[in-house]
Amino acid sequence: MTLGAIILLPFFGGLVALFANLIWPRTDRWVALVSLVLGMLALIFVTAEGVLTGGSAAGIEGEAGRWLALHRSDWAPSLGVQILLAMDGFSGVLLFLSLGLGILTVILSWNETEKSALLMAALCWTVATSNGVFLAFDLLVFAFFWELMMVPAFLMIAIWGHGTREATAIKFLIFNTIAGLGLLAAVFYLGSTGENGVTFDAFVIAGRDISPYVQTWLLAGFALAFMVKLPVPPFHAWLPDAHTQAPTVGSILLAGLLLKTGAYGLFRFPAMLFPDGFAVLAPYGLILGSFGTIYGALVACGQTDAKRLVAYTSVAHMSVVLMGICGGVHFSMMGAGIVMVAHAFSASALFLLIGAIYDRVGTRDIRELGGLQRNAPRFAATFALFFSATLAMPGTANFLGEALVITGMFQVNWVYASITLISLVISVVYATRLFQRVVFGASRKAEVKQDLTWRELGPILVLGAGTLFFGLLPQGLMVALDPAVNAAVDGIRAVQK
Amino acid sequence: MTPADLAALAPLIVLGLAIVVSMLLAPRADAVLVRFVAALGPFAAMGIAVMRLGAPSLPVPALLVDDGFARLGVALVAATGLACLIFLRPAQPAREGPPLMVLATLGGAVLAMAQHAATVFLGLEIITLSLLAMTVLPRSNASLEAAYKLLILGAIGAAALLLGFALAYAQTGDLSLGAWSGSGSGMLVRLGAALLLAGIAFKFSLVPFHMWTPDLFSGAPPAVAAFAGVASKVAVAVVLIRLAATPMPEPVWSTGLAAIGMASILLGNIQALRQPSLVRMLGYSAVAHSGYVAVILASGAPLGAEAALFYLASYAPGLIAAFCVAAGIGGTPMLDDLRGLIWRSPIAGAALALALLSLAGLPASVGFLGKFYLFTALIEAQAWALLAVAAVGSALGLYFYMVFMVTLFRRDDTPRPIPQFQTADTILLLAASGMIAALGVNPNPLVNLVRLALP
Repeated sequence: MTLGAIILLPFFGGLVALFANLIWPRTDRWVALVSLVLGMLALIFVTAEGVLTGGSAAGIEGEAGRWLALHRSDWAPSLGVQILLAMDGFSGVLLFLSLGLGILTVILSWNETEKSALLMAALCWTVATSNGVFLAFDLLVFAFFWELMMVPAFLMIAIWGHGTREATAIKFLIFNTIAGLGLLAAVFYLGSTGENGVTFDAFVIAGRDISPYVQTWLLAGFALAFMVKLPVPPFHAWLPDAHTQAPTVGSILLAGLLLKTGAYGLFRFPAMLFPDGFAVLAPYGLILGSFGTIYGALVACGQTDAKRLVAYTSVAHMSVVLMGICGGVHFSMMGAGIVMVAHAFSASALFLLIGAIYDRVGTRDIRELGGLQRNAPRFAATFALFFSATLAMPGTANFLGEALVITGMFQVNWVYASITLISLVISVVYATRLFQRVVFGASRKAEVKQDLTWRELGPILVLGAGTLFFGLLPQGLMVALDPAVNAAVDGIRAVQK
Repeated sequence: MTPADLAALAPLIVLGLAIVVSMLLAPRADAVLVRFVAALGPFAAMGIAVMRLGAPSLPVPALLVDDGFARLGVALVAATGLACLIFLRPAQPAREGPPLMVLATLGGAVLAMAQHAATVFLGLEIITLSLLAMTVLPRSNASLEAAYKLLILGAIGAAALLLGFALAYAQTGDLSLGAWSGSGSGMLVRLGAALLLAGIAFKFSLVPFHMWTPDLFSGAPPAVAAFAGVASKVAVAVVLIRLAATPMPEPVWSTGLAAIGMASILLGNIQALRQPSLVRMLGYSAVAHSGYVAVILASGAPLGAEAALFYLASYAPGLIAAFCVAAGIGGTPMLDDLRGLIWRSPIAGAALALALLSLAGLPASVGFLGKFYLFTALIEAQAWALLAVAAVGSALGLYFYMVFMVTLFRRDDTPRPIPQFQTADTILLLAASGMIAALGVNPNPLVNLVRLALP
């Protein structure tokens, strides 16, 4: 049941936060914070228990030691739906990320005055639903959380966003929900075509013999949802707007969490459920990914809005993740996993920094900014760190991830490896441009006078420490990801032979 | 008449009693009392139908049948009638409203139990005529227009229906719904089936016979529109399920139903795209939702009956809540009137937001389960074309529901009137929202209820 608590604590925390102010003013943020911290404690407890007892393999054959925790109970037996939650190291890492980013965003919006109760609820629900995505192995429940995740993010953009927030929120929701229809149709198909009644149990479905032709179609349905969320061109059109118009905390959760759910889905399910379909579609994924990484990086170079620039770097980095996954070898998949984590740190931090600048001077146009290093040394120093992370400087986790993906790509095809390398070169261009314009030079129109406050600096330092820690001492992270990577690679290799 | 027959007819009897008593009270007694007495009828009918859900089915010769579909149909119709009674806003002198609403409920109940051409026609006409009377009660131009369209188009529909039955009668000499089976594939029967389909499509507001729906939704009092949108459709769906069980002349029936179903999904959703009026948007979306039910039934999936009934049951709370909010705002609420509703009137705003989520079929609302049934039935029948159209339709639908959704949360500085809700309305809104959310998270009760009705 502790696994369920990781989802339910933030969910009910959000619900209570929504009404907390009616009873006692300004308690909403405390409720949100406490519920997320409790969720984190539950997660730590589950992880520790799993590691110490050697994991719980009950109910899943042939995968002893991989699963740290497992929970199975009925939800809607009349429809064949059960609550099947399972956590391995990979989901564990993402859950830590999700709850951690949740706590961080609550702290960042501590002084929010406008409709704060609903904001706290939306933050908690985003975390709760993403946790559901990372844990659910009943495909209908997975699809349920997958679609539900869009609603709090939609509210965040629509209510607290900038500029054309309403249109952007609708665009975000429509892109993702339409793509979600592919996932839904595939899940319903899988559920209703079993031999022994209706079941959505991913482990049972993985053991089924589905013809490669059908697998390819089903995978296309799954992949559509995942690639729009990721996002990889040409499915990325919602992202630059959503990132730009969303409030800072919204951008952080979008980049740090929601994009990761897309990557998680691609990482987890194609190799597990549709290995034959994966073999058919992976080459196309590689092509899309290599196009996306170059395209994202090039478009990022041309942006003047700092937030939009970072949004396009997300496209580039997540395309690298797609390439790593579609490469299907151990190196590239491990690299993809690490890029996911690293990008969550670096993109969140960059959005936080740009948001802080915007709060002070009311512009994100890099032609108007400048002179940070003179007036605001903390800004400048932290910017330098994440600037090096986004261009994958050695020592950061981003470097490690991209290096592993490139290494893996050499095993697949040197063309893709060289494309990834080229995109690394372009990333130097956009990162340097951003850094040089914002940090160095004379103060242009908009002068930042006030440095980072401690409430902003704290989260930044945590993100920075993560980037450096996993860049320098990646062993723990790699051990955590290893079982999931092995399982995926084995699934793919079994077909190739 | 045996006691068993009496038990089978009990829902119709209590509805009839409630109509008579409330009508007698109407001229003198307090309006609240009239409404209360009227409400007892649907309440009791619903209770009886639900309690008898699992009982063995019973023919009530020769016009009616009391089986699971009938009982579930009666229960859903009566529940809708009850809910609509609560927010039926009488235009001033009208105490006739509540008895008429119960009369419409009686029509729906008769239709759900019908197994003969005469009772089908009787049920449909009772619904149409009482809806018509309730529609003209406000005596505004819009309501008169809506009533005329309903009257004239409804009459054409009824004529088509009668002619269809007559042609089949000419071939088989039998007017029961089962007569279609074994009637061969003669020209007469096929023409009859096509005409019957057209007649039913009028009542089910399927393209191209749907034109009255948006007008009725915007011209009639919201409670009347909600009844027309939910209860009469449930009753007609039961008739369609019964007809599907007797092999109808093919390919006229299934192909025809699938074709007008697909057309309804596409046209309904497309016409709803740019509607600034909440009720007209709901009108076109109702056309689309009828289309979903029609394609479920046309696909011939073994799951069809269950899926269609569940779909309508899951559609009901969303539509009723949306119309209840419309009734509270008054007039025909436009997008601008809804601006920032959730901040002005949190309960109404949240209820409408949940209703829109449910109509759009997003999860944690019962509408998601409806979508689940829709897709699963079409997959089961391997009806890929229908599935593709349904997917396109629900993708289109998202847009207009979300436009309204986002408007509810818009920041707004112009002072606007705060909608007036009576306590009963508020309770209804809370109940509908509670059902949407609770059944969205735990659908077991509704699924089991629907399955009890299956043979």
